[in-house]
Amino acid sequence: MRWLPFFLKRLIWLVPTLFALLTLVFVMARMMPVDPAILLAGEASSPEQVQHVRERLNLDEPLDSQYWNYLVAVLNGNLGESLYTLRPVAVDIMERLPATIELTIASLFVAAIVGVPLGVVCGVHGDTWLDHLLRIIVVGCAGLTHFWIGIQFQIFFAMELNWLPLSGRIDVEPPRNVTGLYIIDSIASGNLDALVSAVRHLTLPALTIGLHAAAIVQGITRNSVLSMIGSPSVRYLQAMGLSPTLLNWKYLLRSSLAATVTWFGLAAGMLLAGVVVVETIFDWPGTGNYAVGSIMYADYNAVVGFTLLAGALFVLINILVETAQVIIDPRGAT
Amino acid sequence: MDISRREFVAFACSTLVSQTGPQFAYATTPARFVYATATAYDTIDPHKLFDQSRSAIKQNLYDGLYRYVDNPPQLIPWLAEHHTVSDDGKSYTFHLRKDAFFHDGTQVTADDVVYSMERILALKQGPSSLFRDSITPGSTQAVERHKVVFNLNSPSAIFMPTVPDITVVNSQLIKEHEVNRDWGEKWLARNEAGSGSFELIRFSGATGWIAKRYEKHFAGFNKDPIDELEYRVVLEANTRVLGLINGEFHGAEHLTEDHRRRLRRAGNLHLIEQEAMRIFLIALNDAAPPLNDVHFRRALAYSFDYDGLINGLMKGSVIRNPSPLPRMMWGTAPDIKVYDYDLDNAAAELKQVKEPLRPLSIVALAGFSEAEQAAVLIQAALGKLGVESTIQILPWPILLKRLDRLETRPDIFPVWRSAFYMDPNSWLGEGFGSRYEGQRTIAYYRNPEFDKLVDRALVSSDQQERRSLYESMTRMLTEDAASIFIYDTKWFGSYSNRISGVRYSPANFGHDFRWVSMAR
Repeated sequence: MRWLPFFLKRLIWLVPTLFALLTLVFVMARMMPVDPAILLAGEASSPEQVQHVRERLNLDEPLDSQYWNYLVAVLNGNLGESLYTLRPVAVDIMERLPATIELTIASLFVAAIVGVPLGVVCGVHGDTWLDHLLRIIVVGCAGLTHFWIGIQFQIFFAMELNWLPLSGRIDVEPPRNVTGLYIIDSIASGNLDALVSAVRHLTLPALTIGLHAAAIVQGITRNSVLSMIGSPSVRYLQAMGLSPTLLNWKYLLRSSLAATVTWFGLAAGMLLAGVVVVETIFDWPGTGNYAVGSIMYADYNAVVGFTLLAGALFVLINILVETAQVIIDPRGAT
Repeated sequence: MDISRREFVAFACSTLVSQTGPQFAYATTPARFVYATATAYDTIDPHKLFDQSRSAIKQNLYDGLYRYVDNPPQLIPWLAEHHTVSDDGKSYTFHLRKDAFFHDGTQVTADDVVYSMERILALKQGPSSLFRDSITPGSTQAVERHKVVFNLNSPSAIFMPTVPDITVVNSQLIKEHEVNRDWGEKWLARNEAGSGSFELIRFSGATGWIAKRYEKHFAGFNKDPIDELEYRVVLEANTRVLGLINGEFHGAEHLTEDHRRRLRRAGNLHLIEQEAMRIFLIALNDAAPPLNDVHFRRALAYSFDYDGLINGLMKGSVIRNPSPLPRMMWGTAPDIKVYDYDLDNAAAELKQVKEPLRPLSIVALAGFSEAEQAAVLIQAALGKLGVESTIQILPWPILLKRLDRLETRPDIFPVWRSAFYMDPNSWLGEGFGSRYEGQRTIAYYRNPEFDKLVDRALVSSDQQERRSLYESMTRMLTEDAASIFIYDTKWFGSYSNRISGVRYSPANFGHDFRWVSMAR
């Protein structure tokens, strides 16, 4: 249980981290050269209309007063209301978060099933023609942007072959909302139409992110395998007469996965914070576009609320990954 | 039941593979029209929406007393059968039709019209700016169940053109959802209470909205009408183009000439072209020196390469218009001063400039290549006059804040101007009259003689007099080069070949789908 104090210490640090994040984003949001009162009052509004909106939303109060009110509200579990949708920010975000979580999980799944085996193959066959060939392909994939890959996938799979839909998340009645993850919800409710539609819509965006990420996973896994392949433990297992398949895909892979798992943790945090480009290309109704729109239109509460959520998720995932590392290797428990 | 990892992977793959292929059919209804829009909907409250892109909510889910159709726009009775105006021009009495019902089955009455007017004024957003000078809260009366009277503060020639913006809502339904007398503001942001040709099924701020045809609508429908209307938010223009080509979308907007060239090559689409009431001009800050000098403004107008922009960069997809009014709107004098690219005239005007020259700021709207190209051309024109300038590309929300005050206003910015309502005052009075200074002002023109004409035209009920007044205004604005007036835009509708009967009007921006037929 050496990981428990480590875990708790990290968890305690979450509080000042989020407080600092809140303060920073609160101030930065109000420094943006955009006046939400003007936008809300609408095109061709009079100065009186703009002032009316400003007063109604308390945007004319001093900044310290606005900050204090917001802080008190957040401590009471209230992230405030969006200036535009008039709904609690938490509700707006929760409406979109499951889409982003589903896309993140699917993308990481693609990255794992493609990147890890390729990394092992390259590591085991290090400095052979196979290694060089795969690395050239992988470096090429890593160099492509999401924007380009996404559009090429659309043209090929949606336009030429007409196999998969161009965009969106589902084109039938969504399954009964339990988790918000359409695939899980459709399986839980036995809704085959929804399941098929959800999988088909998820495929291209997940491949776009996943194949790009797989290139990084492959590189990390390959290097770990190369560093482990000459270790005494692997040589011992070889001497014991284990078959190469068993040795490579069970023992060598397991002992090489630490760095890869760490990367997955970091990547999950970043993806949850929003994959704006992919969401835009595929009209994926996730949090990325919500965040961009909120920033663009100075929806103060939405900006701060989203940043707090994304920050908390990122830090929490990192704590979990670091804790997992400590469990694997207790020498890191400092 | 135990499932091994191998079995699970095999099952997952087989599910995916078995469902891929052209033989798969979507479970959509035959007459479901999907319109790809780049505009996200944060609210669907008709009394807050006042922009072109989201007018689809008002056009399709709600009705007004009168309605604009066709091009040039015609005002036709809609929820009202007819109206009368009192002799003093201050009272407008509307007689409502009795066969109009909201989507919940309740009849549309004068009380609903009164409530709608009061709600617009109370929320002070969107269309309320149209009525702030003319209607006092509490002055509108339901004199009979189907007769409503609007009592104006003073005669107003622009009241009738703004009547279609009085979107009528179901007052009983909204009152049931009011919280702390908020006029149902939160509820109506995500629900509807209309009597329009379509009734809302689903709304999501992330994906758009879906509505089904309201079969009991008093106006009936044409042959093969749309059964379900979906406005899907598709932010990426390339995705909208691809979706049109492969038939996933049946209509789309916010496309450029390059996109249209691709669409024309597709066999399953047709493009509709109409002249819009949307002008493009280079707005000048007439209050800031040296732009407050008429000779400098004229020199600038003579230095701009109109042909280079219209026929070169824009490949003739727009129409040269030297007037501050769209060509389709009445009120332009036949003898307005027209500026062409002429450096000799520019040099002659520049010699008469008394104000010292200084570096000028140009701001262009981000994401609109035409605005950026015009900014570069005006910078080149300034260069020919020996004036330094800087170009800033700003997104609309930031530019809007800069426009709010004279002190922060850029010297020059290329901009499009659509109608807030179908009357010359929407461009001339609101754009250049001192009484409208603020966001709507185009130029801070500040000419007392011009202001007198604006004021007179606003109260006159004599159409001939009004025409004459607006013609005088167009002469003044062009003579003084109050801004640089460049072209009229065209409206291009991109539709699947299954679609017919689209009735474009500059007032409905092509979003009024009640007239449309869709082949099964």
